[in-house]
Amino acid sequence: MKEPTVDACQHFLEDPEANAAHLQTCAECRAVYAGLAGKTDLPPVAIGLDSLPLAPWEGSSHRPWPVVLGGIAVVVVIALALCDAAGMSPLHVAESSLASMDVLRGLLNRASSSLRSASVMTQVAFGAAFLVINALLIVLLRRSPRGMDA
Amino acid sequence: MRRALRLFLPLTVVAASLVTAMIAAPPDFGVKGPLTVAGAAEMLQKTAVIASLLAVWMLAAVALTLLSGREIRYSSVEMRASALHCFALGLVAVTSFALTAIIFSYLIPYHVGAPLLFALGVFAILTKIYGTVAVFHLVGTLVAGSRTREQLARRQWLRGDLAMVVVGVVILGAIRLIPVIGPIVWALASVFGIGTALATKFGRREPWFLAWRAVEM
Repeated sequence: MKEPTVDACQHFLEDPEANAAHLQTCAECRAVYAGLAGKTDLPPVAIGLDSLPLAPWEGSSHRPWPVVLGGIAVVVVIALALCDAAGMSPLHVAESSLASMDVLRGLLNRASSSLRSASVMTQVAFGAAFLVINALLIVLLRRSPRGMDA
Repeated sequence: MRRALRLFLPLTVVAASLVTAMIAAPPDFGVKGPLTVAGAAEMLQKTAVIASLLAVWMLAAVALTLLSGREIRYSSVEMRASALHCFALGLVAVTSFALTAIIFSYLIPYHVGAPLLFALGVFAILTKIYGTVAVFHLVGTLVAGSRTREQLARRQWLRGDLAMVVVGVVILGAIRLIPVIGPIVWALASVFGIGTALATKFGRREPWFLAWRAVEM
C-alpha cells in the first residue's frame, strides 16, 4: 500500500467530505476521524430514504436508447408513410414550412407599412404600447425562479 | 382588494388564453368533415406536413436533451412550480416579440432594422425551441414519470430525461394531429414554453438583471 503524504492528510483535514477516499489509505487520519466521531453528542440521524419524495434528478441521467430510437423510428416512419400517401416529398414539406415563414414576413411588412402611413397619434400610441409591454416583461423577468432543486 | 385580485387574475388568464387560441386557430375555424375528395387530399397533405414537422421536433428534442438535459429538467420543474407565472410571462413575451418585430421592421429603411430583426428572429426561434422541449419534458413527466422510488427502480426503459421528452413529443404530437384542438394546444404549449425558457433563463440559475446595491463602507 502506498504511504500517505502529509499533504494528503492536510487536504483531508481541510475538507473531509471531498477527500473521503483518503481514509482508506491513512490509518492515522482514520483514528483521528473515529475519535472525533466518538466525541459528538448528537445521536446518529436515521433517514428513511424511501419516506422522502422522489427528487426530479433521480434517475434522470438514465438513457434508454431503445425507447429513444424506437420513438424516433415510429415518428419518422409515420411521417414518411403519410408523405407517400399524400404524394409529397420531404422537400415539399420544407417548402411549405418556408412558405409559412413568408406569410409571417408579409404580415410583418404590412403591419410596419400601415404603421408608417398611420397618423402621429397612432404611432405614439403604438410606441407607448411597446414601452408598456416591454416594461411589463422586465418586471416579470426580475422574479427569481421558484423551482425546487433540479 | 386581494379577493378582487384573486378573481381578476384567473379571469385575465382565461381571457388571454381565449385570445391566444383565437389567434392560433386555423383561419377556417370550424368542425367540418372532408366531404370531397379534394378536401380529403388536402387534409392528408396537412397531416403529412404536421407529421414530418413532428419528426423534426423529435430529433431536435432528443439532441437538445442530450446536450443540456439538466437545464431542460430545471425549466420543466419551474413550469410545475409556478405555471401561472410562466404562462403570463409567455403571453407578455410573445406580445413583446410581435411589437418589437414591427418596430424593427419599421426601422428597416434606416439600415438598423434588418440586423436587429434578424437577431430578434434568431432569439425568438431559439426560445421557442428550448421552451417547447421543456414542455415535452413536462408532459412526459406528468404522464409517464415515476411517482415513487420503487416504481423508478422497477422501470428499465421508461425513466430518465430522454424517455420523458420522447413520451412528451409523442403525446403532444398526437394531440397536434387533431384538426381544431391540436393547433390551439400546440400554441398554448408554445406560450408556456417561451415563458418558462425566459423565467429560468434557459435553465440556468442566473438573474437576467443585476440588482444594484450601494457599497457598504
